[in-house]
Amino acid sequence: MDRTSNPKLSDGTLLSDLINLETREVKMRALSDPELFELEMERIFAKTWVFLGHETEIPNKGDFVVRDMGSDSVLMARGSDGEVYVSLNVCPHRGMKISTHDVGNTMTHVCIYHGWAFKPNGDFIGAPVEKECMHGKMMTKQELGLKKARVAIYGGLVFATWNIEGPSFEDFLGDAKWYFDTLWCRTDKGMEVLGPPQRFTIRANWKTACEQSASDGFHVLTLHRWLSEVGPYRKPGSEGGGGDLTPEMYGTEVYTAHAHTMRCIELDRKIRRLTGKDPSELSIKEKLEALPPPGITPEMLPEVLRRFSDDQLRVMAWRPPQVGNFFPNGLFEFVYIPSPDGVIGVMALHAYVPKGPDKLEFVNWILAEKDTPPELKAKMLRLGVQLLGTSGMVEQDDSDTWPHQTLAAKGAVSKHITMKYQSMYENKRLEGWPGPGDVGDGFTKDDTQWRWWEYWYELMTAEN
Amino acid sequence: MLQQLLEPTPLPPSIKANRIPSGSDTYNEVLDFLYDEAEMLDNLRLGEWAELLTKDLEYNAPLRHTRSTSQFDQTYSRNVQHLHENYGSMLMRVKRITDTKSAWGEDPPSRIKRLVTNVRVYRIDDSDDLKVESYLLLTRSRFDFDYFDLIPCVRHDILRRENGALKLARREILLDQVVIGTPNLGVIL
Repeated sequence: MDRTSNPKLSDGTLLSDLINLETREVKMRALSDPELFELEMERIFAKTWVFLGHETEIPNKGDFVVRDMGSDSVLMARGSDGEVYVSLNVCPHRGMKISTHDVGNTMTHVCIYHGWAFKPNGDFIGAPVEKECMHGKMMTKQELGLKKARVAIYGGLVFATWNIEGPSFEDFLGDAKWYFDTLWCRTDKGMEVLGPPQRFTIRANWKTACEQSASDGFHVLTLHRWLSEVGPYRKPGSEGGGGDLTPEMYGTEVYTAHAHTMRCIELDRKIRRLTGKDPSELSIKEKLEALPPPGITPEMLPEVLRRFSDDQLRVMAWRPPQVGNFFPNGLFEFVYIPSPDGVIGVMALHAYVPKGPDKLEFVNWILAEKDTPPELKAKMLRLGVQLLGTSGMVEQDDSDTWPHQTLAAKGAVSKHITMKYQSMYENKRLEGWPGPGDVGDGFTKDDTQWRWWEYWYELMTAEN
Repeated sequence: MLQQLLEPTPLPPSIKANRIPSGSDTYNEVLDFLYDEAEMLDNLRLGEWAELLTKDLEYNAPLRHTRSTSQFDQTYSRNVQHLHENYGSMLMRVKRITDTKSAWGEDPPSRIKRLVTNVRVYRIDDSDDLKVESYLLLTRSRFDFDYFDLIPCVRHDILRRENGALKLARREILLDQVVIGTPNLGVIL
């Protein structure tokens, strides 16, 4: 492959032939081409910040988990200084995987092949029989440590990048930070994972999951239709005989320069149902008390009110971000689920880890605020497991769809079919919408997903 | 306190002295229960299967981790699990398939065989319930794919006699895979 700013695949196809920036179309071939996959690993996963997990997974010194940054295995570990480090899980001696476990605690990671040993921060400790100097004298111990990634912790979330001199994490978040703060930074003590993540494999290209995660609202109407047939959104005797999720499609969608996007779905109908009052007659505080954000109780609200600007609180009480993505491969859900016990919030995070052009690993974390009362945590956990992830009644329909798209990307004819993102917002910005970023108002559209592809293209055509 | 709320009730132990020998009447009755259950599920008789469940059902599938030999007993995680169900949520899973036209994850349905072996039955101290351990190999064929998704697991069940018939009161599914090799657990194990 010719790796220029417009990469040429081995059959002569240019990357620019696969995407039409004017008509907002992407050829299916782009979904699952092996050469493009290689380039994605170099130009996207080795360059951007990649989400790896939550710091509460490794609370103690020496705790570690093994994770993936694109196609590379990494150790995410807490060092003797209490800081979180991310290092390539590959021995600099002969390339053996350092840790073959998923999780554990050690202050000394010893490679089982020749015994080279490393600290949780990746520093080289030494090789067996120190006086014989197995590692030779040509390189210093400082040079023989594990390859270290640059780490950023945000609201307890651990991100890392190989782009050591590249943009800061704040730059990477850009305008999304204003909104993400209202999700990840709501309380003084912060969030915690309720346990290790679920993991399962889907025979599908990572982008099938990730372009959807960039706030595809439309698919909910059909692919997740069961939600309104027998599921939590069933309305007895409802208009259209049930099965209509259209009302859930209204709100505001936000898309940012680095393709972090979100669907800010309106809560007014729920608040009207809960209070019997017109939401426009309620104060922000009254609305948040009637329907607090997922994992927050009315008792926890004073802290939340103190932490945010009036503009942010207005969004949290009216149209909070409920689903969205971190580019390249993260998805978040902060959803308000009707249940017999009232509205229960579910907070989950997914990473769609690329495992070759035709396979992804779905990693699903379920979270709550540390201060969420235990009974509520237990309800959030159960509902999260029942709706999302491995057995989730919502997401099992997604995971059954993506393999078919991946197969279609291989067909001699179907690989030239295009995916279309031509539904565009005409109302760009609701007057008085207080948040930054590009904003669309009303019924869901394709602009958020198109932004995902635009940024994918921007990174794939950037040299170095 | 939090752990108790997040995790399922611990199962009673399988005590060797309480083992009910294979070939006995009780053992055969349990075996028939498991075979009949597999037949119902393989043939999508899900409503009929739901009638085998007690109202206080707990139905769980813990996560698994790769750890060292010395930590073998720590390879299961029961706070976040793959399945964390009660009677109501299992009925919802059944209704999703039987009462909607949009349970796409299993419509069209997989062709499935539930191969049940290694069945061991135990009396439980101070209870009339039975503890049953079995191996299950679930083979799943989907669409025109030329491969099978295999889901091997051990099941720890509690069976209870209600109105003369055995019912499933508890099930814990111990999966072999750390990373589940099928796109979803939209099938009943």
